[in-house]
Amino acid sequence: MTDQDIIDRINSSLAEEFEFALAEMTPDTTLFEDMGLDSLDVVDLVIVLETAFGMKIREEEAIRKIRTLGDIHTFVIDKKRQMESA
Amino acid sequence: MTYDFAVIGAGVSGITSAITLAKKGFHVALLEKADRTAPLVRGFSRRGIHFDTGFHYTGGLGSGQPLDVFFRYLGISDRIVSFQYDEDGFDLFSCENPGFEFRFPTGYNRLQETLGEAFPRERGAIANYLAQVRSMCASIPYLNLNMEIDPNGALQRVLGPTLQETLDALSGNALLKSLLSTHSLLYGVSCNEVAFAQHAAIVGSYYESVHGIRGGGASLARAFDGRLAELGVDVLCNSKVTGLSISNGGALSGVRLEGGDSLACRGAIATIHPRLIPELAPEGTFRPAYRKRLGTFEETISAFACFAATKMPIPTLAKTNRFLIPDTESIYQLGSRPIGRAPLYLTAAYKNGETNPQGFIGICPTLFSAVSAWESSSFGNRPEEYRLYKEQALARMQAQIERAYPDITGNVQFIEGSTPLTIRDFCSTPLGGLYGAKHMVGQFNPHSATRIPGLFLAGQAIVAPGLMGAIISGFLACGTLLGHDFMRRELKACC
Repeated sequence: MTDQDIIDRINSSLAEEFEFALAEMTPDTTLFEDMGLDSLDVVDLVIVLETAFGMKIREEEAIRKIRTLGDIHTFVIDKKRQMESA
Repeated sequence: MTYDFAVIGAGVSGITSAITLAKKGFHVALLEKADRTAPLVRGFSRRGIHFDTGFHYTGGLGSGQPLDVFFRYLGISDRIVSFQYDEDGFDLFSCENPGFEFRFPTGYNRLQETLGEAFPRERGAIANYLAQVRSMCASIPYLNLNMEIDPNGALQRVLGPTLQETLDALSGNALLKSLLSTHSLLYGVSCNEVAFAQHAAIVGSYYESVHGIRGGGASLARAFDGRLAELGVDVLCNSKVTGLSISNGGALSGVRLEGGDSLACRGAIATIHPRLIPELAPEGTFRPAYRKRLGTFEETISAFACFAATKMPIPTLAKTNRFLIPDTESIYQLGSRPIGRAPLYLTAAYKNGETNPQGFIGICPTLFSAVSAWESSSFGNRPEEYRLYKEQALARMQAQIERAYPDITGNVQFIEGSTPLTIRDFCSTPLGGLYGAKHMVGQFNPHSATRIPGLFLAGQAIVAPGLMGAIISGFLACGTLLGHDFMRRELKACC
C-alpha cells in the first residue's frame, strides 16, 4: 500500500462514516472545528480507522494529539510502517 | 403541555432518572410500552408463588453501602424490607467434576480466609485478587462518591485485561479460577471477554454484603411506583415511543408515540436497548459510524429458566443461592454446554408473606441460536416444535437439578419455563440477551451524552447490569445533564 493509497482509504472511510464531502477534505482540515467532530465522535473515529486498516490503535497515546486530517494521515502511515517492519 | 423531560422506559434506570429529575423540580413524563412499570423486575405469580425474573439478590445494600445510600436518595428505603443473606454462605458453589463445594461468605476478610482454607497453596493469589477487586471498586465514580468522573475511566473496561487474563496471571489452579469466574453469570459475559474492571465493579459489592428484598422485585416495583406518584411524575404505561422529534436547531423537542400521539419535552433520557436508538432518530441525525456501532453491539448470554413449586419448603435455599458447575471448564464459555449439562443457578421463590421458600427459579445460560428457528414467532403464536423444545429443555434441567440436589428430588413440580425468545419479547432485547448489550473488552458501549442536544442515554448497556448498574446509569445520565458535582452532593447528603 502506498502512502497515497492509505490517505485515500482514510479519506473515503471518514467521508462515508461521518458524512463528509470528499472534495472538502484536505490535510489542513481540522477535525473539531472544520469537520464538526466532538469528543463523542473520537471513539467512532478510532473504530472506523481500526476497521479500515485491520489494526488496533485505541491504546496509542499519539491519538490524543491528532487535530487535523493530515495528523491522521501521518499517524496511520507511521503505524502501518511500524507494523510492516515489526 | 410541554414536559421538562421525557424518560423512555420505566425499568430501574428509567425510574431512577425520573425520580432524580422530579426531585430537582422538573416536570417529568415516564413512558413505558408495557402495561406496568418495571415489568422485568416485577416478576410474575403462579399458584400463589411469586417468581422473580429480574431481581434475585443484590450486593452493596448493607448500612451505608452504595445501594443503601441510593435507595435513601430515591426515597424507597422505608418502603421495602430487606433481609441479609447467609453471611457464611450467600452462594453455594458446587462443582460436580471434580467434586467440590464452596460457600461464599460476605466480607472481604472472611472471603479471603475461607478461600485460603479451601486453597491453602493459593493464599497469595487470593489476597492479590481480592485486593485488586477492592481497589477497582474504590476507583469507580458513583460506586465511590468521592471519585471524580474520569473521561478515560471507561477505557479500562474496553482495553482489559480480561477476567481470565487476570486470573491466569495469578494462579494455575483451575478449580479456584472457575470458582472466581462463577459470578460471570451475574452479568452474562464469559471470563475471556469481560474486563477485569467490569467484573470487579459488579462482584465487589457482593463481596461486601448480600441482601434480598421481602416480596422480591414486585415489592421494589411497588416502592418505586409509590415514590413516582409522590413526586408527581406522570407515568404513562402502554406508551411505546416510536420516534424522537428534533427542532430546527437540532435539539430534542419531543417524542412520538405509537398510535400517533406525541409529547413535547425539552429533553429526554432513553433507557432502551442501544440497538433501538438509531431507529428512533430522524435519518441523518446520527453519523453512520455511530449508528453502526450501536447496531452491532454484542449481546450478553441468553438463558433458559425454569420456575418450580416444591411440596415442602426448602429452608436451606432461603438465604443461599446455588451455583452448579458440571466441571471447571464449563463456566469459562457461557452457552457452550447444552441444557442439562450447563452451569445452573438456583434461587428461592416464595408464597406471599412467607419467609420459607416454597419454590425456586433455575437459570441456565444458553445461546439465542438454540431457538432462532422460531424467531419470527411471538407470544401466543409459537409453533408446536417450539413447545416440544421447551418441554425437553425443561425435562433436562429438572433431571440435572434432581441429580445434584437430593433435598429437591421428588419434592418438586415444574410449573413454567422461559426461553431466549421469552426474554427477547419480554425484555425488549433484540437478541434475547439476559442482560441486554454486553460489556466486553474491545467493545465501546455508548456514553450517556449523545450528539442530539437534550438526549441522554441510561440503562444497563451504559454502565453495568443489575440493580446497582441500572441505578448508577440513571445517576450518570442525570449527572451528565445536571452536573456530576451536583449529583454527587445530593447522594452524599444521604450517606
